Amino acid sequence: MFYNTAQLLSNKLSGHDYTGTDIASVVITGMSVVFLGLILLVLFVSIYGGAFKRRNEKKKAKQEAEKQAALADKPTVLEKAKPAPQSAPAVEDGIDDEVVAVIAAAIAAMGAKSGKKLVLKSVKRSVSQRDPWAAAGLVDNTRPF
Amino acid sequence: MLDQFLSTIADLARDSGVAGFFAEGGWKNIVMILISFLFMYLAIAKGFEPLLLLPISFGMLLTNLPGADMYHSEFWVYQTVGDNDHYIDYGNILQHGGLLDILYMGVKLQIYPPLIFLGIGAMTDFGPLIANPKSFLLGAAAQGGIFFTFLGAALLGMSAAECGSIAIIGGADGPTSIYVSSKLLSNSDSIGVGTIALAAYTYMALVPIIQPPIMRALTTKKERSIVMGQLRPVSKVEKLIFPILVTVVIALMIPSAAPLVGMLMMGNLLKESGVCDRIAKTAQNELMNIITIFLGTTVGATTTAKTIMTLSFAKVIVLGVIAFSIGTACGILLGKLMCVLTHGKVNPLIGSAGVSAVPMAARVSQKVGQEEVPTNYLLMHAMGPNVAGVIGSAVAAGVLLSIVAH
Repeated sequence: MFYNTAQLLSNKLSGHDYTGTDIASVVITGMSVVFLGLILLVLFVSIYGGAFKRRNEKKKAKQEAEKQAALADKPTVLEKAKPAPQSAPAVEDGIDDEVVAVIAAAIAAMGAKSGKKLVLKSVKRSVSQRDPWAAAGLVDNTRPF
Repeated sequence: MLDQFLSTIADLARDSGVAGFFAEGGWKNIVMILISFLFMYLAIAKGFEPLLLLPISFGMLLTNLPGADMYHSEFWVYQTVGDNDHYIDYGNILQHGGLLDILYMGVKLQIYPPLIFLGIGAMTDFGPLIANPKSFLLGAAAQGGIFFTFLGAALLGMSAAECGSIAIIGGADGPTSIYVSSKLLSNSDSIGVGTIALAAYTYMALVPIIQPPIMRALTTKKERSIVMGQLRPVSKVEKLIFPILVTVVIALMIPSAAPLVGMLMMGNLLKESGVCDRIAKTAQNELMNIITIFLGTTVGATTTAKTIMTLSFAKVIVLGVIAFSIGTACGILLGKLMCVLTHGKVNPLIGSAGVSAVPMAARVSQKVGQEEVPTNYLLMHAMGPNVAGVIGSAVAAGVLLSIVAH
């Protein structure tokens, strides 16, 4: 059978010129090659998947441990970590406090996403005369270039 | 003056398509046009894979209108030069071909199916497969339908190329079926690419009807009620390594599967990388839609009356459904084996999703599972074998292409 298969692979099947053994070997070869290929992938994916799983678990365990440690010495941390008094942002005359608060909130939200702590230093009126909506549209349209 | 007028009118009438219906064999065209109406009805009213069946059925209508000359099957006859070498005269097609002839070149040159795969790759999440790599085995088992149907077609005395083309329907993957059949079939074969595509897409649409009875027959109530736990989350780096790894392994092992698997994985890498959003979106949407229009219409155009109204077409339809059913059964049976080996942790129902037909086959597993336990969510577990089935059928296609001469 093995010889037959090898011969078949070298002499390709064509027309009606085939025997029962040829067909049987197509079925057997076909199924085994498909299984072999996918078993190889199972092995590779399992190996690197396992490695990543272990790494992630380690990371998680480490984070958990750090969290526990932080909780344990919380009182000392609290005293140390008293936030330094921040200077109030320099706000140009004629800009509402509410507007400054909204800008600060938006910046804080953006910072929280990337894990950074951002400080609003000053708020000035833009010199550009372009309508902000038009500017946003322009940025959107030219982004890819 | 009147004579001239009348003879011009008579000439026009003779050249018109209506006269073609009364010519010899013209009734076959009428039957084909009626069949195209039936497929349009199934696509529009019944929602049978409308994105493909509608262009296919319209292509079928166009090609069977006598005298429209949009597609010429005679152009696609292989010319023989020397002993064995055969080729298609593409220069002649470019010079004299109709619209559909020109577009069909993309099918015959195997350009469209890999491009469709690029889009599919950009839409597929291989996460469930990476989280549970054993799903690959279910995707491999379901390809059993392909090879057992090859056997069945051979028993019916079909040529090797026909056997391969019919068998690939069992992979439940339209682009792969078109890829293999357009490479294998020539004019000396009694079936055409259009026939294969029509059968493949019809059966893919019928997955929710064909699969459940087989699934219920082969599993016990207890097996169907197995609830599977949650899959582990997969990190981004793992998702990035996967397409590169699969391409290298499969392309080195079965080079003839490289165009399909390579494009599938490239699409996936574009998506997972997160830095090629514009390209990934084009592959998923615009490119895929354009190719679908070209592919559907031209494949439909190959279904001329003389290729469809034959006994071979009936054989394709019958063998196609057998291929599909065996594929489903093989997947379920391996699922049962895995269930026994894992002491009841695997629900065998996910095995049937190993026939590609993404994501319909996975949805069927989910639905049949929920009939037993309403809170059981098998969908993500079934997506693993489902996407593995796409890779599996591309590999099986590569094997067929390397065994059968074309």
